Amino acid sequence: MLKTYEEKRNNIKDEVLLIGNSVVEALEISLKTLKSDDVSALKEIDLSVKKLSNKSNEIDNLIVTTLALYSPEAKDLREMVSFLKITNELIRAAANVKGFVKIFRKAYSDDLNTSTILEFTIPLHKSALLSLRTSMSMIEETNDNHAEEKYGRVIVEDSKADDLYSMVEKNILKLITKNLELSKEYFDILSSLRRLARTSDRASSIASLALFAQVGGDITQS
Amino acid sequence: MVEGKIKMAKDNKIKVKVDDLNLWYGDNHALHGINVDIYENQITALIGPSGCGKSTFLRCLNRMNDLISSVHIDGSIIIDKKNIYDKDVDEVSVRKKIGMVFQQPNPFPKSIYDNVAYAPIKHGIVAKGKECDELVENSLRKSGLWDEVKDKLNQPGTSLSGGQQQRLCIARTIAVKPEVILMDEPTSALDPISTEKIEALMLELKKDYTIITVTHNMQQAARVADYTAFFHLGKLIEYDETETIFVNPSNKKTEDYITGRFG
Repeated sequence: MLKTYEEKRNNIKDEVLLIGNSVVEALEISLKTLKSDDVSALKEIDLSVKKLSNKSNEIDNLIVTTLALYSPEAKDLREMVSFLKITNELIRAAANVKGFVKIFRKAYSDDLNTSTILEFTIPLHKSALLSLRTSMSMIEETNDNHAEEKYGRVIVEDSKADDLYSMVEKNILKLITKNLELSKEYFDILSSLRRLARTSDRASSIASLALFAQVGGDITQS
Repeated sequence: MVEGKIKMAKDNKIKVKVDDLNLWYGDNHALHGINVDIYENQITALIGPSGCGKSTFLRCLNRMNDLISSVHIDGSIIIDKKNIYDKDVDEVSVRKKIGMVFQQPNPFPKSIYDNVAYAPIKHGIVAKGKECDELVENSLRKSGLWDEVKDKLNQPGTSLSGGQQQRLCIARTIAVKPEVILMDEPTSALDPISTEKIEALMLELKKDYTIITVTHNMQQAARVADYTAFFHLGKLIEYDETETIFVNPSNKKTEDYITGRFG
């Protein structure tokens, strides 16, 4: 391929990583605030889905142009198609993270059973963060074996996130039955945690796409 | 976009300005009122189906059509504020300023060195000796051929592979220090690897030269050209940035040609 193609490809990859890393960074800050039990600090997280969405549109247009001008094939083609779908996944992940931060911050208070909530929220959050961070690192992976190994890790974290969500759901439902007047707050907490679990789903989907780009096979998305 | 009246306001400097160019082969009106601005240090690709006039147009740019007795041309082609069809302009000086690379590599039956040195010596650009040696080396370096031929400069140019011969022809063209390089399907006789080398070379050469290339390979136009002009039946149908032509062409005929629906 020509140098001009490589430049465009690298530019697209860098822009995709920029979006992904801003979502990962938001998750890192949010996990830190939960660990320090300083939920009010969640308001410091500045994640503009609108800005990321505009950036994603720019990337998508760049991809369309690159496909039209360079007609990439094989691995180059798989990579471009993956990038096109990954941008969409990242915007959905960003919306989930933003939703989690906003809803959790509003609903969380000392009136709730915070120890039970945090007991599950922190590991669930860790899984969401790890799965997304690992899936983003797959975009830069050039070794097939490493890509497959990372894919496995993302799937495990996603599965853990689903299990943790199921557990926290059971526990919170129990808490609601004991404290009906706080049911709205508890349901909001659940809703925010569902968004964290979905972030992990998106990470899993990104990992599938990155693996398709690197190793080949059929395109799959969860 | 209006046919034949295509202008673009771009930041790039205009190198070649074509105004209302018409060409007839006898009674056959082959080019109809072509207006186009070609930008300096850019690659412009001319595309279109066979017989659309793209090669005829290319040959107008260095007065190669003057060699055909039945050809009649009107309109103007202005390069550096001078119409190359003015009576006081010598066509040899035009061809020195506007070099050409043809479809089939056509090295002279001379050594690799002489292929490059012949025209500069003939034009008095350099004298034989060290000065000429340097020009030959620079030209071969610019054409990406030096490392492959530096130890066999006295061997015949025709002993090289097709792709190397084409790069030798490019070295020969740039040795006379042209400002514009015309390329008429420069890779149609080459294999994919040689084609990629020529395309990479074109991208390097555009830093120093303005390049206008005719190609039947639309992917090549898409890959290397900054601007693309689509010709059909002797008319310039659409001229725009290559990205626009290949992603959002404004003319239906262009879209149909690009997508392989006709031509």
